[in-house]
Amino acid sequence: MNEGLDNGPAIEARGLVKRYGDQVVAVDGVDLSIPANRIYGLLGPNGAGKTTTISILTTLLEPTAGEAKVLGLDVVKQAGDVRQRVGVTFQEMVLDDELTGRQVLDYHGRLYRMGKTERQAKTEELLALVELEEAAERKAKTYSGGMKRRLELARALMTTPEVLFLDEPTLGLDPQTRARIWDYLRALKEESGMTLLLTTHYMDEAEELADTVGIIDRGKLVAEGTPQALIEEMGADTIHVIGEGDREAFVENVSALPFVQAVDVGRTVIQVGVDLGSKRLVEIIAQATDSAFTIQDITVAKPSLGDVFLKYTGRRLRDTDSTQTHHRMLLMS
Amino acid sequence: MAATATLWNKQMRKFLANPEEMFGLLIQPILWVVLFGVGMKSMLSADMPGSGEPYVTFMLPGIVVLSALGGAIGGGSVWLTERLRGIVKEYLVAPIPRLSILMGNALSTMTKSMFQAIIILFVGLILGAKLSPNPLGWLGGLVLVAGFGLGFSGIALSIASQTDNPGAYHAMIMVFNLPLLFLSNALYPLATMPTWMRIGSLLNPTTYTIDGLRQMMFRDPAALAGSDPLPLWLCWGVVLAFAALGMWLAYTTFRKSIK
Ligand SMILES: Nc1ncnc2c1ncn2[C@@H]1O[C@H](COP(=O)(O)OP(=O)(O)OP(=O)(O)O)[C@@H](O)[C@H]1O
Ligand SMILES: [Mg+2]
Repeated sequence: MNEGLDNGPAIEARGLVKRYGDQVVAVDGVDLSIPANRIYGLLGPNGAGKTTTISILTTLLEPTAGEAKVLGLDVVKQAGDVRQRVGVTFQEMVLDDELTGRQVLDYHGRLYRMGKTERQAKTEELLALVELEEAAERKAKTYSGGMKRRLELARALMTTPEVLFLDEPTLGLDPQTRARIWDYLRALKEESGMTLLLTTHYMDEAEELADTVGIIDRGKLVAEGTPQALIEEMGADTIHVIGEGDREAFVENVSALPFVQAVDVGRTVIQVGVDLGSKRLVEIIAQATDSAFTIQDITVAKPSLGDVFLKYTGRRLRDTDSTQTHHRMLLMS
Repeated sequence: MAATATLWNKQMRKFLANPEEMFGLLIQPILWVVLFGVGMKSMLSADMPGSGEPYVTFMLPGIVVLSALGGAIGGGSVWLTERLRGIVKEYLVAPIPRLSILMGNALSTMTKSMFQAIIILFVGLILGAKLSPNPLGWLGGLVLVAGFGLGFSGIALSIASQTDNPGAYHAMIMVFNLPLLFLSNALYPLATMPTWMRIGSLLNPTTYTIDGLRQMMFRDPAALAGSDPLPLWLCWGVVLAFAALGMWLAYTTFRKSIK
């Protein structure tokens, strides 16, 4: 049954490419190797290629080039076997909401050829898990957004998948509901040895949940590691500088300082990774004066995954018109 | 097969839980028979040329087919909605054959058409239609309508797989629906048509469905058709080929749409 699972990674991709027409390259050579029983968080700005990657791994889309294996099974050639053994929730709400919560789960189980007793037992178990027992007989269209999301999660778990793909599982949910979903997901990994791949826009979600984070931008995986390792790469502290003048000279001079571990230039913020922020603040300010760069704002912070994200993508999340602004800035400087 | 049954079951359960849809589906054919059949009857002379049968008997197969067409259009609409709302993705990630997804939709559409056909015949009977005394003929007629419904469901599903716009879907489907209905022997006997229309009608699977229905379900079919009836084997052959062709079309366009 578990062929290929025992030693190989649960999810593996090599040189994955997806093109739409000649113009759009949604996924541009992604390599992944995710061991079993891990939570992998795929982070990326809008349009980075997260959903496309998940669609390929869950057999919804065929890659233009490259190959991918889930549980050792090729997602194109052995699509049927992959489908049998994975669970998926989609980015947008996908529910036949004329059905009651219980019916949604039951029909899903039937599609996967589960027997009646097994279906009933699993339905009860999952309704309890996602705390929807009381709403089970109501049509899903009467559910709140959070209830629908939980029902979708239960549906994905109905068939006891070995790998679970979640595309933005907590999109638009309130903090309590999100925290509860995190708890379910952590428990799933601990108790049933499941492998999870989830995409998210929320840094805290990735930091809370993921064993490994991959940052994807414009179809390419630009960084990968544990959240801690990625954050440590940024330096012990980060100094955020906003100002105007000769940015290039400033960046150059700052980079040359011995205690500076990393410099990342965003569209407004320059991030400087240093060993001890409070101590180095003065020296950074001194560099600005030398470089004819006027500092308007300067702060010291412990780096976060958000800073890592900014470093690799040059954008904050949900920074919709970043390219435009970036462009304007280049003209100005 | 199991997946087709599951999806059929799901559509039927949704249908039975929706009183408005049920009501509409039951009332529509009754209105057609009563308003159209009776109205036309009083406008034309009471009897068809060369026949003693009332016009209601002549009209009935046409109304059955009309309902089947309407049902298939509704089925395509359901399919388009499921595609747009992403529900089709739930089917696509499940380990089931792609064709079974379409079949689940088409078979539930057909089931509803069967209900309608039975109601139509029943109302027709009350209004004085002369049904064949042979129940096997009725059964054969229902199967024939089911085959026709499957074929047109295929066309509807194919169109609904290619567009993302409900307005475009309905506009496109009418391009098929209207000639299928009017360029046939549904409303006028073949013998009374101008030649061009008769040629068109003979190229139309609707004609074979209706002629088959008349032969199997009603008394004195030759008089009803206003000429010699088409051979029954040909009616079956054309309808079955239409069913297969329709579903094949739906299948290939659907496959292309998910590439
Ligand atoms: N069917 C399609 N046809 C053409 N381009 C597409 C199609 N689907 C996606 N794209 C493009 O591919 C790129 C990647 O899209 P994708 O949905 O994978 O991004 P994402 O990382 O999931 O973004 P988001 O965070 O907004 O969900 C985008 O530029 C998008 O416009
Ligand atoms: Mg997405």
